[in-house]
Amino acid sequence: MNKIQSKNTRLINRIVLIFFVLVNFVWLVLPFLMAGLWSLVDPQHPWSYPDIFPPVLSFERWSYVWENTALKEAMFNSYTIAPIVSLIAITLALPTAYAFGRMEFRGKKIAELITLIPLVIPGMIIALFFSAVLIQLNINNPMIGIIIGHTVMTLPYAIRILSSGFSAVPQDLIDASRDLGASKFTTFKDVYLPMLKPAFLASIIFCLVKSIEEFSISFVIGSPDFITVPTILYSFLGYSFIRPNAAVVSIILLIPNVILLLIIERLLKGNYLSQSTGKA
Amino acid sequence: MKSLKQDLKAWLLLGTGLGTILLLMGSTFYLVVAQSFGLQNMYGEPSHFTFDYWQEVLSNPIFHKSFWYSVRVSFLGAVFSILVAYPIALWLRNPIKGKEFIVTFFRMPMLVPGLVAAFLFMNMISYHGILNETLVWLGIWEQPKSLQNDSFGWGIVILQMWKNIPFALILVGGAVNSLKSDLFDAASNLGSNSWQRFIYVIFPLTLSAVQVSFILIFIGALGDFAFYSIAGPRDTYSLARFMQMSAYEFEEWNQSAVLAMVIMLTSALASILITLIIRPLSVKRGAVK
Repeated sequence: MNKIQSKNTRLINRIVLIFFVLVNFVWLVLPFLMAGLWSLVDPQHPWSYPDIFPPVLSFERWSYVWENTALKEAMFNSYTIAPIVSLIAITLALPTAYAFGRMEFRGKKIAELITLIPLVIPGMIIALFFSAVLIQLNINNPMIGIIIGHTVMTLPYAIRILSSGFSAVPQDLIDASRDLGASKFTTFKDVYLPMLKPAFLASIIFCLVKSIEEFSISFVIGSPDFITVPTILYSFLGYSFIRPNAAVVSIILLIPNVILLLIIERLLKGNYLSQSTGKA
Repeated sequence: MKSLKQDLKAWLLLGTGLGTILLLMGSTFYLVVAQSFGLQNMYGEPSHFTFDYWQEVLSNPIFHKSFWYSVRVSFLGAVFSILVAYPIALWLRNPIKGKEFIVTFFRMPMLVPGLVAAFLFMNMISYHGILNETLVWLGIWEQPKSLQNDSFGWGIVILQMWKNIPFALILVGGAVNSLKSDLFDAASNLGSNSWQRFIYVIFPLTLSAVQVSFILIFIGALGDFAFYSIAGPRDTYSLARFMQMSAYEFEEWNQSAVLAMVIMLTSALASILITLIIRPLSVKRGAVK
């Protein structure tokens, strides 16, 4: 009887697994494959209905987009802003994260909750009315506006990840270091810092990724002259739907982000979301 | 021992990070509220307190259409995301070969920016998309149909699901995984079947995760701009698109501020409502404390 049951269980598991693979192929793999295929459509040989596959494949579209659109400028802007934002966000987050991770104080829960505000207010509201604040403050440089806006949007992640890092440092080690006569600075350098490395790296990557992919603030504050990778993608998707160009920019936007986020996934063992947003 | 000195020290340390958030979000929020009541006007227009902008927006039929459309697709997106995430979370409770890979695979959409997700989806459902072509190839349809920008907003619901199922899975999955096997064994010994175990054991104990997932997905979807402006219907604006248009295309900042307030108030109201509905469900069985 048991043997039959286990055979049935195995069969059910196999069916479930096959179903899972099929559904996920259509749900996840196929959309990415299609994007890849569209980016390889040769400009001289358009792909249109009823062709199931593109008539000619080439990398022409990639060089065309690189040479003839503002992609270079957009990438320069995105990849300049992101490191600056990361640096500012982490510098600002560090003392706050220490307080959250290592100290007990009145109002801590409320303070932690307030930190999450930028995550629950829709990006377009922040973008529009933050741009209005900038106008009222006479800050006309779009890059400065975008850097400030992105910093606020990335701060909750940096604070949450770093405070998780701070709280994970065992008190015994700190006590031992202090008992052995180490100064506060030495304790910070030799005890905290080595243990905080993964959290630092994860926050840097998270800030980079969030800044690179942020759309609303860049779109509202940057338009019409200052472009980033997401805003150039929006121009290919929204105003005039140029699918092969959009495919190229999508892949450019996606691949570095996925790689960076997979690194975080390994660093924080898959719990980055709950750790960074406190939602779980 | 919490002393005043320690409290002060801690709040001083919070000044850099939390202070920046409070300063910038506070000034932004202040401007939204003030402008919705005719204060702090842009471009030097005279400011005076008035409910006129609220009245104007709330009586606008375009707003009504936009509001119900946004609420409808956000609600459906959140409900369906959670409904799909539940069985997957339960399935992932079992020991499965390559579970880590499967979980990472499931999380993929979370790593995809909204604009890219919308583009990927368009490739699937557009006139010259794989879905249309497959159905024509299979002989089910004679010719491709226009599936994008549907007037109900199913495209947006599917997109919300694509992006949010992994998120719901993390929250619901976390709650499901934290349930002890003893509970299932006890329920089985008492003669319950799988459905009863789900209804009487799993569901009440994981309701708080459902509540959080629902609220966060709903709020995220209600204020979303990218999905709606690319894959949304052509005859109805989402609230966020309507708000952006009012400010930037028509330069009606006060009306735009009212729309921003409506989005935030609806989010807050939905959060309270869902908490009020869900809380009694999770405690009514007595055994669950």
